[in-house]
Amino acid sequence: MRSKFTFKTELWVPVYTGIKVDSLQDFIEAMSTIPDGSLLYHFYINLLNYHNLPTLYMNSFSYWLHINGYESLAERISIIDPTEYYSLDDLRTTVIKILKECEAEKLKRRLQPFYFLDARREVLFTGLEADELQEFIEGVRNSSIYSIFYHMVVSKIDRKSPIDEYSEWLMNNGYLKKAEEIAKIDLYAMSLYEAKRKLLEVLSA
Amino acid sequence: MITLEDYSRYVDREIIEELHLLAKGLRGIKILHVNSTKKGGGVAEILSRLVPLTNSLGIETNWEVFSGSDEFFRFTKKLHNMLHMPNQGSIDSEDINIYLKTTYDNMQKINTENYDVVFIHDPQPLGLVVKKMKNQKWIWRCHIDTSTPDEKAWSFLELFVNSYDACIFHIPEFVYKNIRIPPYIIPPSIDPLHPKNSEIDEEFIAETVARYGVDTSRPIILQVSRFDRLKDPIGVYKAYRLVKKKYDCQLVLLGSYATDDPEGEEVYKEVLSLISEDKDAFALNLPPDSHKEVNAFQRIATVVIQKSIREGFGLVVSEAMWKGKPVIGGNTGGIRRQIVDGYTGFLVNTVEGTAYRARQLLSDENLRRKMGEYAKEWVRHRFLIIRHVRDYLMLIKSLL
Repeated sequence: MRSKFTFKTELWVPVYTGIKVDSLQDFIEAMSTIPDGSLLYHFYINLLNYHNLPTLYMNSFSYWLHINGYESLAERISIIDPTEYYSLDDLRTTVIKILKECEAEKLKRRLQPFYFLDARREVLFTGLEADELQEFIEGVRNSSIYSIFYHMVVSKIDRKSPIDEYSEWLMNNGYLKKAEEIAKIDLYAMSLYEAKRKLLEVLSA
Repeated sequence: MITLEDYSRYVDREIIEELHLLAKGLRGIKILHVNSTKKGGGVAEILSRLVPLTNSLGIETNWEVFSGSDEFFRFTKKLHNMLHMPNQGSIDSEDINIYLKTTYDNMQKINTENYDVVFIHDPQPLGLVVKKMKNQKWIWRCHIDTSTPDEKAWSFLELFVNSYDACIFHIPEFVYKNIRIPPYIIPPSIDPLHPKNSEIDEEFIAETVARYGVDTSRPIILQVSRFDRLKDPIGVYKAYRLVKKKYDCQLVLLGSYATDDPEGEEVYKEVLSLISEDKDAFALNLPPDSHKEVNAFQRIATVVIQKSIREGFGLVVSEAMWKGKPVIGGNTGGIRRQIVDGYTGFLVNTVEGTAYRARQLLSDENLRRKMGEYAKEWVRHRFLIIRHVRDYLMLIKSLL
């Protein structure tokens, strides 16, 4: 029996955590204690907010490292693709591991401050549903970029699943090839508009 | 009356639909905004659009103005300056008496009881929170940079601030370390339908610019700002002189100063004297409601500069970016949030840096076009009023 797909969307508003750091050492320490919402915010906000810019510094952490002159570290943090993670604990561990490889003498240098924000999230039902492929395609066509972001990125973390919700529904309904192709869409290297276009291309093929 | 649907030319239809969805969950609540002026200034400008838009979403929203004597506003102006930076004055018992008396008078006039959510803008009406009832949510919206306040000024605010349920600042840098309520970070926004930003025809642009003697056939470097030392108009002129060695360009410093702003007049006269021998430099002191004129100059400018030394948020940067202009901005405050260095414009720290970036933009039309496209998209997704309405509703939702 075919399962129903319910289209949802995700909205954020940022709140300041009160955690401000001005050295790499304090930054590393903060990385262990900041709430999950803060990690989510700084790693994913550019993706959610339409990253139309071809900048190398795709998340707030790497941009901060870049403006403070840690180019190599900035690049290493920047290339962590958050869309490949479905556990914020794993993402946090990866970041801390890279940061800890930094030479000890660099750790205490006074830097421009970094302010940790937290995301207050709201997941909403859009009212769109699909029982079969054509309805599913229409649902995606009428989805906002925030909805695409929810189903392809954050819902993996919420569900602690390596598979995005679109691919999962397609697999469960017998569209294995489409599911595989959608799972391969390189979200981290494109805007959510481009991702939506690709999604529709795969679904309609 | 303008409704959300009027914005569908600028933002995705689905995003407007989602705003309706978000609002649906808040139907039945009543919101009140209180500030201290109905006209003039960024807060009134944003509220004049934000309030009807929230109403158009089916959420009853009203706006009240807190009134006071000249004496009261002299004190709150001083308080404002003290919150901006230390050693700008002191607060005496007479000031406190005036503030409390004015608050008391307004408590009788402004009905806050009938609302579920009350937004108080800036320090003037802050004291109204003593009327807060158990089931209400009160939010203080601070439009000021309070990152390094005078301790006396902050202590005064603390009498009231921590009684609120949440506060809002433009950027986290502006949040003072002693605040004990959740500080939400909601940047201000521009309205694409405001005469300052709406599309205007080429003929009006050409006529307006020509009316002030500016030659439309040669490149124009523009800075729009009050005549204020913190906006560094002198530095902009120096940068233009460096550029002028290689490019036959013009400079327009466009702004205004209030009649009660002696420093503004002084800076304006200083600029006039500096440029008096230069037929290609213009300092235009326009009335504060010259929105379409500002719009025209921003649209025709070849290079836009906002070389502030210190800046609250500097929304004029987003206004120019929305018109597809890469902006060369001072590396400070909210300008840093609007300009992505090297992509949507350039961040600069010196006169020489400003001049060099201006030369790069003047020399390369493709660079200007590409950066301008990025700049417009950046503003579309981050600094339009639709995002602002959404953030306010999200904040309310997170508190209720």
